Amino acid sequence: MTSHDHRTITHRPTPVDQRKYADDADVCIVGAGAAGGVLAYELAKAGLRVVVLEAGPFWDPQHDFASDELSMRRLAWQETRLVAGNDPLRLGHNNSGRGIGGGTVHFTGVFLRFHESDFKTKTVDGVGEDWPITYQDLAPYYDKIEREIAVSGPNHFPWGSFQGPYPYPVREPISANAQLFREGCEKLGIESVVAPLAILSAPFDGRPPCINRGFCNQGCMPNAKYSGLIHHIPKAIAEGAEVLSDCMVTEILMAGDRVSGVLFNHNGLTHRQMARVVILAGFVVETPRLLLSSANAQFPQGLANSSGWVGKAIMPHSSHDVYGRLPEEVRLYKGTPVLALTQHFYETERERGFARGYTLSAHGARPVGMAAAIAAEREDGSYLWGKQLRETMLDYNMYARITLVGEVLPHPDNRVTLSGEKDEYGMPIPTVTFSYQENDKQLYKHAIGQMNRIIEAMGGQPEHVVSDTAHLMGGCRMGNDRETSVVNEYGQSHDIPNLFITGASTFVTSSGSNPTNTVMALAARTADKIIEAMKKQDV
Amino acid sequence: MPAIANQFFTKPESLLLQTVVGVLVHDHRLEVLTFVVEHLDNTTASNIGESQRKVGVPPQKELYRSGLKGIDAESHAAYGTDFVALKLDQQEAVLQHVANGGIQNQEAWTNMAPADFFKRLLHDTVSAYYSHPLVWSDIGYGGPAYPRGYVRVEKGLTDPWEAKANDES
Repeated sequence: MTSHDHRTITHRPTPVDQRKYADDADVCIVGAGAAGGVLAYELAKAGLRVVVLEAGPFWDPQHDFASDELSMRRLAWQETRLVAGNDPLRLGHNNSGRGIGGGTVHFTGVFLRFHESDFKTKTVDGVGEDWPITYQDLAPYYDKIEREIAVSGPNHFPWGSFQGPYPYPVREPISANAQLFREGCEKLGIESVVAPLAILSAPFDGRPPCINRGFCNQGCMPNAKYSGLIHHIPKAIAEGAEVLSDCMVTEILMAGDRVSGVLFNHNGLTHRQMARVVILAGFVVETPRLLLSSANAQFPQGLANSSGWVGKAIMPHSSHDVYGRLPEEVRLYKGTPVLALTQHFYETERERGFARGYTLSAHGARPVGMAAAIAAEREDGSYLWGKQLRETMLDYNMYARITLVGEVLPHPDNRVTLSGEKDEYGMPIPTVTFSYQENDKQLYKHAIGQMNRIIEAMGGQPEHVVSDTAHLMGGCRMGNDRETSVVNEYGQSHDIPNLFITGASTFVTSSGSNPTNTVMALAARTADKIIEAMKKQDV
Repeated sequence: MPAIANQFFTKPESLLLQTVVGVLVHDHRLEVLTFVVEHLDNTTASNIGESQRKVGVPPQKELYRSGLKGIDAESHAAYGTDFVALKLDQQEAVLQHVANGGIQNQEAWTNMAPADFFKRLLHDTVSAYYSHPLVWSDIGYGGPAYPRGYVRVEKGLTDPWEAKANDES
């Protein structure tokens, strides 16, 4: 068998009527994304009977993915959610996945660590809230995850505590957009690097290096980009985990003070999964929604919600884009979308007039993404259409693009609640409310100014500023104080000891970095805690 | 009007939608417009979900049906005839009124803000339009590159099969 044949083997889910552990799983994980995949693999490897329930399909990259921006929006969670607030969020493909691998199937692969200050913004800057852990608590887990998936990156990373080197060589060559960005930064005295990426720069584990196809956000076909779909979930299955796709969890079951399992819907029929421990890994909207909608007489505010903080303090990253027209061809479609970035503006500088900071990335764009954004998502609220849009897009190849990943501070009014409308399962549709606060606005305005400067230093003219957000975090935050947080530092519910929450929903603050590395490192830390506790019969 | 079996839009709605789409993308090639309208019809008929819907904005089916009626109502208020019968500059003026909320026939827009419909229509239309291979050729995007990928990605370099600007060929 050649190595190419090896890659085409697909892992299929267990049929729902042939389950091994329906009545006696040790652990049931709800959601097979960045966090769920890591937990499934680690816990199965430790000999636990693991069941993973995923609402979406079990993709086969070779057959289900295509080089088509429009059709690949189906990798996202498309079920309607209501959005409200002064700055209603775009959900779906913008930030959430559906299917095995979750958001990792369509993320850009940018793999950054949080900085020391990200875990103590209250102490350092008097804003946000401190985490119950420090960078040092998470450092060994960042090391572990980065090695395990062969993250590529520079020999020296100039910001934060981790200065490199990365396990796999830095990506080379980089795209014209990334080159121009780095040249522009250099002219302005802004240090930049080739991005650390969960994308292979050399063969690893039977997978080939990246071919620069550029469709990271539409699903990687050659399997060069990490996703839970091609790494953690297949490995978990090999260790004995049962992975059930197209299974939407609709209720958490309680037995007294403890969870006993979940109900899920598969092809219109309701099934039951019993487990000693339930882990919710369903991301920032679905996890609070499930906790709130599982309310009963004993827990009228929803499960794990004695603090009232379930659903509160959700945060996106501000993620405005600046498109600049250059005198030379850039061809934004070529290569891995993000190949260069700077964290020059990451830490608080008081004279800027706001707290915290951001990352700027050179970011490719495909025709649909660029045209829809510059037409209908403009920062000034205007629209671009007709002859003007057509003429702008005829110069598509002349545009460069820079994207912001900006810290948004937690605010309790930004939250997930249940609406009066019901979905096809009879569950209440969630309402997601978001408004930028003053510090957030000052921060992204500053970033837009810097992006404009860099475009000019590239020899270009900034022409289109797009208002956008990326990622979602919070909603079930961790903390030491059970009055103001939902889970402890390991993701264990303060109220229900055998219920864990993992993933971005436990974030206390958002940082100014892409969150996936931190999601996976936290999941690995939670896995260690659960293994230890189950050995001691503590949960 | 090409023979398309619409799932959601009626024939008159479909004709109106095709006309509106042509103005929004400033292109009147039937092949491309037919593709866009088919896509809009498919997604509006689908029950998969619309990812997000602003509180107070009607569901997609109602939004489109009622928004198209609103465009014709505005056309009648401003020019006394159907949108499809207007000249291009008049059509552009009507859509501009919808985009900035400066409509004359308030009664046609009681269930939503005109701009909410315009934004959604523009986003959906532009997304489908820039998915069409003819349009890719117009803008110099070579389309899918799998399994070959790109070898020459740096400044000033193109792989031999990529589109070149007209003055370089």
